[in-house]
Amino acid sequence: MTKLTIVELKLLTREPGAMFSLLIPLFILVVFGSSIEPGDTVLLPMALAIAVGLVGLYLLPTTMATYRERGILRRLSTTPVRPGNLLVVQLLLQLVLALIACALLLVFAGTVLGAHLPTRVLPGALTFLLGTAAMFAVGLLIAALAPNGRAANGIGVLLYFPMAYLAGLMQPTDQMPDIVARIGEYTPLGAFRQSLRDVWAGGAPSPLLLGVMAVYAVVISIAAAKFFRWE
Amino acid sequence: MAVIEVTDLRKRYADLTVLDGVSFSAEEGEIFGILGPNGTGKTTTVECVEGLRRPDGGSIKVLGLDPVKDRRKVREQIGVQLQHTQLPENIKVWEALDLYASFYAKPRDWRDLLEEWGLADKRNARFGKLSGGQKQRLFIALALVGNPRVAFLDELTTGLDPQARRTTWELIKRVRASGVTVVLVSHFMDEVEELCDRVAVFDRGKVVAIDTPAGLVDGIDAEHQMRFTLMAGDMVELGGLPGVTGVTRTGNRVVVTGRGDFATAVTAQLARHHVLVSDLRIDKRTLDDAFVALTGRSLDPTH
Ligand SMILES: Nc1ncnc2c1ncn2[C@@H]1O[C@H](COP(=O)(O)OP(=O)(O)O)[C@@H](O)[C@H]1O
Ligand SMILES: [Mg+2]
Repeated sequence: MTKLTIVELKLLTREPGAMFSLLIPLFILVVFGSSIEPGDTVLLPMALAIAVGLVGLYLLPTTMATYRERGILRRLSTTPVRPGNLLVVQLLLQLVLALIACALLLVFAGTVLGAHLPTRVLPGALTFLLGTAAMFAVGLLIAALAPNGRAANGIGVLLYFPMAYLAGLMQPTDQMPDIVARIGEYTPLGAFRQSLRDVWAGGAPSPLLLGVMAVYAVVISIAAAKFFRWE
Repeated sequence: MAVIEVTDLRKRYADLTVLDGVSFSAEEGEIFGILGPNGTGKTTTVECVEGLRRPDGGSIKVLGLDPVKDRRKVREQIGVQLQHTQLPENIKVWEALDLYASFYAKPRDWRDLLEEWGLADKRNARFGKLSGGQKQRLFIALALVGNPRVAFLDELTTGLDPQARRTTWELIKRVRASGVTVVLVSHFMDEVEELCDRVAVFDRGKVVAIDTPAGLVDGIDAEHQMRFTLMAGDMVELGGLPGVTGVTRTGNRVVVTGRGDFATAVTAQLARHHVLVSDLRIDKRTLDDAFVALTGRSLDPTH
């Protein structure tokens, strides 16, 4: 297990996609960050949601579907090790990646940009956990349904844009049609961004939105497990 | 001792019967061949034996164990090279060997395997950058890294150039010499003839014969030909000799067709009557002839 984790970690660092997941949100933050006001509660939650969305929708499903496509899971099932271990290790590493991406954003925003950071940790951590769980569930479902790595990649990218739009990551929600913004709030990514924003505004995230993310995480994960094929 | 025992194995996919009562057993220390054209269920058979696929019927014992029920114990003692698998593009050769070694209780030292399989100078190369032959050797090394008692190799020389095939064959013989039982799946006659102690010939989901390669060739009673050119002396009557079924003559060229060991009778007859011939050629019967005799079709698609 240790060796598997080390090797998978090395492979992840050699994956250009992993670098992009770290750099794209940071880039967005830098580009827009110079013009934001110190008390801003919009930009940083957006960047965080983008980071988690990229890992969950793009990197996670592509990696997993590629492993199945290349027969790596099958090859593993001929050894004493269960192939499920590989999926668990991948899931954990992707989670760590999402954490690093977010930490990078917070540190950069907090120091260089002097952005506002929430003082209460618990609501933020809970929101991060549920939002990430919901996004990863979607990623797992893509991995389960996509016939190969390229398809998973395609589906991930295709899903990312409408989801990011609905979540208010392409333009601020107050510039979106009201009804679209309302609907968007109940998409996995939208609930995540809105909850983060609530945290940033100093309040507690709405229990309804937290519940929405939890339900997404559970229901979609179950669907992913049901549709998952080892080969 | 039988290392693998397969009895009446059956497998269907939807309305396609892939395995229709396959039985064979492989003995300890031999290279056991599974030969047949593409699509006859060879891979399905070995993947059932490896415990990767569930058969619909029949029984399988590997080292006396059930590959599904005693999953872990079986996997600890077998090594597998699958027909269609890859590794991650970016994994380095040594990392793959080191990783797979860590899966087993008593692995071999992967550094030795690196040397044996000629991969020492590719130690730090990434999988995606290896040539076909190097990838194939890495797969075999990975199949051996757990120090298995049985190794399954499925189409191991597909896509290799003749030189690389020869090298691989020599290495497989060394694997046998080290006491590992090898199950070799192939659709190449020459490979099976060169390597296998015994062969199960597959045709359309059935085993049509099990024997040594030489035994298979001897067992067939197919017609074959001998040819020669008359140099001196008058042609003698050959048609009545035992086994001869036909004689044709075009100028000085003579072609004799027959069954069994008719060629010996023909050369003796020629010698007795002082007929001098040159360019004497007796068609060698091959495993492919045996295959045609057994199944009514050729294994070699170029024929
Ligand atoms: N998972 C599967 N689903 C449906 N058909 C399959 C599957 N695996 C193999 N087959 C079919 O079973 C037949 C035998 O395949 P295989 O065992 O791979 O043959 P071989 O290894 O001798 O070439 C082929 O017709 C193949 O299409
Ligand atoms: Mg095959």
